[in-house]
Amino acid sequence: MYFRKSVGLKLSCAAFVVAACGVVRADDAKDAAAFRAQLAPLLRTYCYDCHGPGSEVELEKYRTAAEIKKDRGVWVRAMAQVRLGTMPPEDGETLAAETRNQLLTLLDGLVNSVDCVSNPNAGKVALRRLNRAEYRNTVRDLTGVDYEASEGFPGDDVGYGFDNIGDVLSMPPLLIEKYLDAAEVITGEAIYTPPPSRVFEVDQDPSKLIGASKYGAGSGRVTLSSHGTVALECDVPFTATYTVTIAASGDQGGDEPVKMRVDSGRLRKVIEVPKETVEDFELRLRLVRGTRRVEISFINDYYVPKKADRNLHLHHVNLRGVEKRALITADAKIPASHQKLIFVTPGGKVSPDQASAEILGRFASRAFRRPASSQEVERLVELAAQVRADSGRFEEGIQVAIQAVLVSPHFLFKVETPKAVDAQGKMPLVTQYELATRISYFLWSSMPDDELLLLAHRGQLREPARLLDKIARMLRDPRANRFVKNFAGQWLQLRNLDQVRPDARKFDVFNDEIRELMRRETLTFFAGVMRGNLPVTTLLDGQFTYLNEQLAKFYGVAGVQGPAFRRVSLEGTPRGGLLTQASILTVTSDPTRTSPVKRGKWILENLLNTPPPPAPPNVPELEKARLTGTLRERMEQHRANPACAACHNMMDPLGFALENYDAVGLWRDREGGEEIDASGKLPDGTKFRGVGELREMLVTERKDQFTRCLAEKLLIYAIGRGTEYYDKCAVDQIVLEAQQHDYKFAYLIAGIINSDPFQKQGYRE
Amino acid sequence: MKMPNTLSRRTVLRGLGTTVALPVLAAMSETRLLSAAGRENEMPLRMGFFYVPNGMHMPDWTPTKDGTRFELPPTLARLAEHRKSLNVLSGLALDGAKAHGDGGGDHARSVASFLTGAHPRKTNGADIQNGVSVDQATAEQVGDATRFASLELGLEASAQAGNCDSGYSCAYASNMSWRGATNPVAKEIDPAAVFDRLFGGQTEKSTRRARSVREKYRKSVLDFVLEDAKDLHRKLPAVDQRKLDEYLYSVRDVEKRLAGADRLRLSEDGVPDYPRPSGVPRELGQHAELMLDMVALAMQTDSTRILSFMFTNAGSNRSYPEIEVSQGHHSLSHHGKSKEKQANIAKINRFQIDRFSYLLKRLDSILEDNGKTLLDNSMLVYGSGISDGDRHNHDDLPIILAGKAGGRIRTGRHIRYKNGTPLCNLYLWMMKQMGVKERRFGDSTGLLHNLG
Repeated sequence: MYFRKSVGLKLSCAAFVVAACGVVRADDAKDAAAFRAQLAPLLRTYCYDCHGPGSEVELEKYRTAAEIKKDRGVWVRAMAQVRLGTMPPEDGETLAAETRNQLLTLLDGLVNSVDCVSNPNAGKVALRRLNRAEYRNTVRDLTGVDYEASEGFPGDDVGYGFDNIGDVLSMPPLLIEKYLDAAEVITGEAIYTPPPSRVFEVDQDPSKLIGASKYGAGSGRVTLSSHGTVALECDVPFTATYTVTIAASGDQGGDEPVKMRVDSGRLRKVIEVPKETVEDFELRLRLVRGTRRVEISFINDYYVPKKADRNLHLHHVNLRGVEKRALITADAKIPASHQKLIFVTPGGKVSPDQASAEILGRFASRAFRRPASSQEVERLVELAAQVRADSGRFEEGIQVAIQAVLVSPHFLFKVETPKAVDAQGKMPLVTQYELATRISYFLWSSMPDDELLLLAHRGQLREPARLLDKIARMLRDPRANRFVKNFAGQWLQLRNLDQVRPDARKFDVFNDEIRELMRRETLTFFAGVMRGNLPVTTLLDGQFTYLNEQLAKFYGVAGVQGPAFRRVSLEGTPRGGLLTQASILTVTSDPTRTSPVKRGKWILENLLNTPPPPAPPNVPELEKARLTGTLRERMEQHRANPACAACHNMMDPLGFALENYDAVGLWRDREGGEEIDASGKLPDGTKFRGVGELREMLVTERKDQFTRCLAEKLLIYAIGRGTEYYDKCAVDQIVLEAQQHDYKFAYLIAGIINSDPFQKQGYRE
Repeated sequence: MKMPNTLSRRTVLRGLGTTVALPVLAAMSETRLLSAAGRENEMPLRMGFFYVPNGMHMPDWTPTKDGTRFELPPTLARLAEHRKSLNVLSGLALDGAKAHGDGGGDHARSVASFLTGAHPRKTNGADIQNGVSVDQATAEQVGDATRFASLELGLEASAQAGNCDSGYSCAYASNMSWRGATNPVAKEIDPAAVFDRLFGGQTEKSTRRARSVREKYRKSVLDFVLEDAKDLHRKLPAVDQRKLDEYLYSVRDVEKRLAGADRLRLSEDGVPDYPRPSGVPRELGQHAELMLDMVALAMQTDSTRILSFMFTNAGSNRSYPEIEVSQGHHSLSHHGKSKEKQANIAKINRFQIDRFSYLLKRLDSILEDNGKTLLDNSMLVYGSGISDGDRHNHDDLPIILAGKAGGRIRTGRHIRYKNGTPLCNLYLWMMKQMGVKERRFGDSTGLLHNLG
């Protein structure tokens, strides 16, 4: 069920802005009051003793909420220390967990507050290189060549959970080499040029000639001292005119010079060898493909004992031929991409430079995702002309110029020209072409199609109805599968499935095929929610999934036949939603058992956006020797340790709710003879039993938190940078819009695209 | 006498048989494959850095006795046949890997700091900052002598998703070579790709086009894009310029290599007697050995004198079914003193060091012009930036220094330094042997003593 094209999406309605404005003013007053009444006393008790006047990091000098906001950097670091528990130090006042949380909440309210009305910073993404996936897709969309070898490019590092972050994508020399290689192979495949002629060459030591062993075959030469024949025999791979070069010399005697005869097929030629020093003798002969023989004979032996001795010495025999190029290329050899790229050829009134300019102008404009400047095109035309001047063909000139485009920074990076903030402090918009590029890499992991470029060219990309219509069609386009694969694959950590190796003895149902099918199930499910424009919470509680026969068998679901995936209802079963899919249950397990901690952590990180801090070093082991009982009991004893409790009280209960699923995601009622207890209770008192109630909680009480989490992950992926405190306004707005449209998927996507960080260019703070 | 001019062609094609059809020029232009034997009589020194993650099971590592008569605990025992060619160094430390108020993330920090001695800035992406690594600092000054200033290799691809180590971008966990404070140098993990880089002329792909033609146009293409980049550089803000700086550096580096295409030292045969690998083997041990063969080939042909090699990434949690360790390496390293987990950690340690031993054996079998083996003419560091995986401590690190640096290192000893001695003191000493003139490196406090 696709959403209709004509659905209109109202952008940042005026009412909202006014309301927000009021809220912000009130916030200022509230902040000031909160600082005086609550924060200042805490700081006095726990911080000022050391961070007073004259200290290295003086906190006491900040007298108002406004002053703190002005100097965020210092306070962000202070918060980090408090959060980690490194401040206050052990010898200072002890800070109860509750007070610590209160302090953090108050600080967060101030330090991370942002004024959403007066032009919040739209942020600046660092120059983004195409990552591997984007490179491959872009090359395919641009040239029609699928360059699979890009899979072997050095890995793109991950930041903020995604591999398309400008700051993190580096450009080492190794990669430039690969881009060069790629450009050569890609242009070679996209544009047909006849291959260089084959050369066949045999270089023969004469002592290895047929029949040579009968004669005095010394070091590197053969001496024919009486009438006789030696021969060169070889498999000639193609018919051509060959050159035989024989290096020979003769012992002269008598009244005529040494004569040798060369026979091959019908050819017979007698050559005089008049000198005693080595000379090259060349003769040309036509050889037809197949086994061929060239015979060399000594034909005028002369011998008078002690007076005269005529002999022939052979020093070297070489046979060499060059295959003749076909003058006309068979149409079948010309790839479709060739016709598309080389849409004009020189001839008639069109000069080679004119033809090059048209071809390269169009190509560079698509590759650079904006019109190429006339200067850029001129330089490319010149490069192509250089190749022709160097006796290259027209097409070869185009190939080299296109290679330059494919290695150019304008192609490899998503370049955005810098823009200034105006006098009123308004954030500048990115250009229409830059916006088209942002949209297409977000939804397609590739370059804009012609339609997007046309919209940009006409300046229509910010017209809400047109844009929404385009977004809707883009999501339905098969290219959006790349978004599913890249975004969902990373957000849900499905890519890490490659690394899990469930213990084969315990989980013999698991294999590489199942691994792939599991992943496919989740990606298809995500795509189903996206293309159906369902509420995003369907990801958590959708009563359906996608299976094929093999995967259905793995799950124990009956009635699914054949290798094709299809939608399967899960009504009336405990399964439903991401949390019950084998991919996610497997990726969050240890090789030998489930890990409620990992599962809980996965939920906190990826569904609720509240990643727990790392475990401190020297954590006591869940060892049977010291702790006893079931896994749950052992973990409960473990949690008795207050150092662990704070985080594990959150993680463990969430994870335990999924205990009915084993380490590869299969249902179980018992483990090690004990009945599974899938109940949990969060520190705030929320209780649930099993995945059903956990799911219920997530889609009701935590619905907005989940939506916000997803919005933030999408935003990071969409703009290629981590979110900062000032992005809060944008996320608020995106979530609000989603709420107003029943949390439907496409509205969340549209909200991201319409947000300031996506539409505008800010700066680094 | 005029002989057919086929000498270089014959040289290159030896071993392929004489009757072979080649595209025009493909073989003739292989000047780079002709021997360009060393200008000096002295053989060059090589330096290499081999990293393993998650620390060691230290009771199986550290010898109790010092000096030449030390015993070999079970992990080191795997290097028994090389004990005369190496030193075990105890007590070295990486201060930069400690938290210094940044909280968790010891794994990412320990590898970020392993070759740099720096304390990496804690960030998930924005404004990454570390230090320059010892291999890159050395390559910067003396890397010009070889075709590749340095090579960066490994066995595990960068992480593909998620959070690498509590708030640290995966760039820290997956790279240990850093050309500048903000530029990690990605590693190559496919032995076939390394082989092609080293001996490009011999592969099918590059014979598709005449190589001389290809290189001529490569130069034109690089010149072209260099101009593009310089022009663009002027127009961009600082944060983008940093990215473009990397691009400019890389293009120039590749250009330099085109210009110096004849510096590869090879035997008379022109091509090392080694088949092109066919890709990444599934089994880690085989993968490691193929890759270490590439290390040996690169060193032997003097393609580079500086290498870094990451067995796996920091905090790697891969399991080792090949040696029946079904739990993840990282999970195991948090052993909480569990005997079973420690035993498994030790097993992984042995599995990895066996590969290092394989390399040492290979290098020791290659005789160089000065009558010494390639191993003798090398300095190879093997170790981890974490000592005990459970404690996450960055002092008393497990470090081996193999090779004799052409006779400058007295080997066969266990040398115990005062605990906390900067690992960078060792690096500074190594850099000096390579001809680098620096007074400091990372957090060094001086040259490491007692090696010679």
